[in-house]
Amino acid sequence: MIVAEQKSLAEIRQMITPYQRVLILGCGTCMTVCNAGGEREVSFLHNALRLAESRSGNGIHTFSEYTVKRQCDYEFLDSLVDKIGDVDAILSLGCGIGVQAIAERLPDLPVLPGVNTSFMGMAEEWGVWDERCAACGDCILAETGGICPITRCTKGILNGPCAGTKNGKCEANKDMDCAWILIYKRLERLGQLDKMRRYYPLRNFRTIPRPRRVASKASIDVGEGNG
Amino acid sequence: MHSPVSDAHNYRANRTEKYLDHSLMPPCQAACPLHMDVRGYVDLVAQGKIMEALQSIRSGNPFPSICAYVCTHPCEDACRRCQVDKPVAIRALKRFAVEFGGDRMVQAEAETTQQEKVAIVGSGPAGMACAYYLRKLGYPATIFEAHSEMGGMLRVGIPQYRLPRQVLDTEVQRLTQMGVEIRLSTKVVSLDLLFDLGYKAIFITIGAHQSLRMGIEGEESPGVIDGATFLREVNLGLKPSLGERVAVVGGGNVAIDAARTAVRLGTKRVNILYRRGRAEMPADPEEVEQALGEGIEILFLVIPTRIKRGNGRLSVTCVRMELGAPDASSRRRPVPIKDSEFNEEFDTLITAIGQAPQTPGGFDVRMGKGSTIQVDPTTLTTNRVGVFAGGDAVTGPATVTEALAAGRLAASRIDDYLQHRYPVAGKAEREKLVGDLLPETIEMIRKISRLEPPILLPEARVKDFEPVELVYDWETATNEARRCLRCGMGAEILFQDKCATCLTCLKVCPYHVPCLDASGTIQIPAEQCQACGICVAECPAKVIVLRKPYDRRSINEELDHILKSAAESKSKPFIVGFCCQYGLFGIGTLANLWRGAKAGVWIVPVLCVAKVEAEQILRAFEMGAEGVFIAGCGEQCSREDTAFWVRQRVEKVRKVLAQVGFETERLQTFFPSTTNEDLAPELDKFAEQIGRLYLASAIMQEVKS
Ligand SMILES: Cc1cc2nc3c(=O)[nH]c(=O)nc-3n(C[C@H](O)[C@H](O)[C@H](O)COP(=O)(O)OP(=O)(O)OC[C@H]3O[C@@H](n4cnc5c(N)ncnc54)[C@H](O)[C@@H]3O)c2cc1C
Ligand code: SF4
Repeated sequence: MIVAEQKSLAEIRQMITPYQRVLILGCGTCMTVCNAGGEREVSFLHNALRLAESRSGNGIHTFSEYTVKRQCDYEFLDSLVDKIGDVDAILSLGCGIGVQAIAERLPDLPVLPGVNTSFMGMAEEWGVWDERCAACGDCILAETGGICPITRCTKGILNGPCAGTKNGKCEANKDMDCAWILIYKRLERLGQLDKMRRYYPLRNFRTIPRPRRVASKASIDVGEGNG
Repeated sequence: MHSPVSDAHNYRANRTEKYLDHSLMPPCQAACPLHMDVRGYVDLVAQGKIMEALQSIRSGNPFPSICAYVCTHPCEDACRRCQVDKPVAIRALKRFAVEFGGDRMVQAEAETTQQEKVAIVGSGPAGMACAYYLRKLGYPATIFEAHSEMGGMLRVGIPQYRLPRQVLDTEVQRLTQMGVEIRLSTKVVSLDLLFDLGYKAIFITIGAHQSLRMGIEGEESPGVIDGATFLREVNLGLKPSLGERVAVVGGGNVAIDAARTAVRLGTKRVNILYRRGRAEMPADPEEVEQALGEGIEILFLVIPTRIKRGNGRLSVTCVRMELGAPDASSRRRPVPIKDSEFNEEFDTLITAIGQAPQTPGGFDVRMGKGSTIQVDPTTLTTNRVGVFAGGDAVTGPATVTEALAAGRLAASRIDDYLQHRYPVAGKAEREKLVGDLLPETIEMIRKISRLEPPILLPEARVKDFEPVELVYDWETATNEARRCLRCGMGAEILFQDKCATCLTCLKVCPYHVPCLDASGTIQIPAEQCQACGICVAECPAKVIVLRKPYDRRSINEELDHILKSAAESKSKPFIVGFCCQYGLFGIGTLANLWRGAKAGVWIVPVLCVAKVEAEQILRAFEMGAEGVFIAGCGEQCSREDTAFWVRQRVEKVRKVLAQVGFETERLQTFFPSTTNEDLAPELDKFAEQIGRLYLASAIMQEVKS
């Protein structure tokens, strides 16, 4: 799941300054799950912005709120069209994908990001989320016992652990588990320690050519007939 | 263009949240023959809302004061708190509500709107209830009673120390006030005569007054008397002389009442002879306990087999029993032990092994098992047109509430009959809550011991017929009422399609109630949920509601209301307090703050501060509050997690406050550690501090401009 964090109220207020009527738009999927932009956060932010307005004494903004099931597909955004009649900007509490989907779907309306999209991860406990995957595009979890060294090792090394591991923790952060110790223990349990002994050649850390695209459909030429 | 405020309001009002009451019928209500809204009035007592509690009670029960004394409280047997520790003391709470709510003062009124006269034969609870409801429906009603006084077994059976006669007299007086005609000392022997007198319908409620016989040698001897007759004599003012030593045969409530009455008449030694063991005794365990406290000895597994009279005393031959295989009533059948006979001397022997109705032949109604009158259970009609029957006369000896329920049902069936209406089945009943608490849930529920109302000490009790049980004091009553688990009020997911399955509810529930089913959908089992509302306030998708959305809705409504009043009052600065309605605000140290007792402090009463949402706190600030506080009931709370969740939300709001230039001290929480901790001084300090902050910011404004 995508994890994000709401921007500070100050930054949000700065962003909306030029616009009078702002629609706060929530997302009912990942942003709801990570507590950054579901229906509750939308109405909390709405209340917070109104409080800020009333405190500043010269508030000019008016707000409305709405939450769609998912911002990252045009089809979900169709229901927005009749909601934006008198809106000057949309403050999206969707992830970066949602914001862009809106920009594409509503070409004439400014859209502002209300959250900082942070990573792909999962909940550690209520209210705490941890990163798990860097979307590197070349998954090696089969070799590392299902634990990702790219995201979970501070250095992202492929042939760990490094010399900085101490009592199972990372030298960069004593509260953080050393990913490579975790990998070792897991492989040990699986009886696959031989995988530790192998050397993994350096990966190509050059910037990935972007934007990437994935297609699950086969490209079939029209008119080829029965195959 | 809309103002921002009304926008938010429209938004809230337009939300499709169904303001329906989805709550399930709790087991207490299902078990009550009158289907009283027990959960509802117990909760009102818990909030110290005694008048409202009484109102709720009266709407479901014509004679709540009587039930408050003598009801056998099947509701308590069904109470699911039994699974945690002990049931809520529902009957005692009702007693508290009727006494403190002023049930005595209530005036009953009725208007005659119908012509058809109805005759009621018998003035027991069934007859009285029927008369009450017939008058409410506008029918002229006449009660015929064979005895010289009204009340049936309430008058001639139940001893005064359990039901003071003033209580009964008040109800009788109310019936007279309502226009019920009462004919005392009038035994009805023929129904035809009543029809001839112009009555269009008859309700037979002659009770079950004929004591059953033991069928043993010597039962006719002087000195042997049956329990119903004995109690009737005492209750009608006679003082039978019993001698020094009395035996009572039987194990039911009548036996216990007879024995305790004998003690109160000055008998030195009273024995109860019962053929089974203590566990099998049908009498109310509390009363057995009280009887033992009064010095009554119970000989278990003993049965008299022969009575011989000589020298003015009774020589009673008894035999000891042992318990064999279970019988039809699934209690183990007692069987005599060979050669275990023994003799005991008594002055009087009272038999109390059960009663049966005694229906005059002239009634001409079809009889069933045990001389009871046969009726159709849904219409209460007998084989004779226009003749209905109910109460003990139909069921055999039962209880006061069952009789009341029969009387109420009869009134509406007689109404159907007289209006030539097809009897409609009772209005669609709420779905019942079924299922036990899981061990995992029970483990997480705070154990709170049951608080019993005070009772007189045995030495004081046996001296006279004064009521044995006293009333709760205010604090004990509210604390006892707070033990209610509010079964069937819990959370439900109102919009499954909007649920993001984020698992927040799973993680925040103190009782581990929500779960994922095999298809990956969240389920909140109604029979486990404790209705704390924590998941409701935390759900990021806002799709969870309590089955009775009343609680949350009323926070918004109360908040709007006080924000409006505060704005109108123009007193500055003002403070908004979200206060637990149960402890502090209901009857505790903050109760005097009710609507502005302290200038500038406005209270939003909430049914547990765990339900206060961060948005509501922000809204108070937005609408001009200079300070906001949340006061929970602290240690008294039904759950430990309340303070944690309140503080989570407070921190979240404080972050916003800091960013808009408000000091975070403007938002405070108060959680007293003991019940008696007085928060008033702390609150004063808080108010002073807010006053200072307000002044400082006002000066700053001046300087700026
Ligand atoms: C000692 C004792 C203690 C009890 N304690 C409790 C208790 O604590 N809690 C509880 O819930 N229940 C208790 N009960 C049971 C309860 O009292 C009865 O179930 C209830 O009173 C039945 O009500 P009823 O209206 O059907 O009949 P009753 O109360 O028996 O009233 C019938 C009336 O009809 C009159 N009558 C009979 N024949 C005629 C006639 N031919 N013409 C005119 N009038 C007639 C009788 O005189 C009597 O007044 C107790 C019963 C007894 C005997
Ligand atoms: S209302 Fe409380 S007890 Fe019920 S499911 Fe939600 S958190 Fe659990």
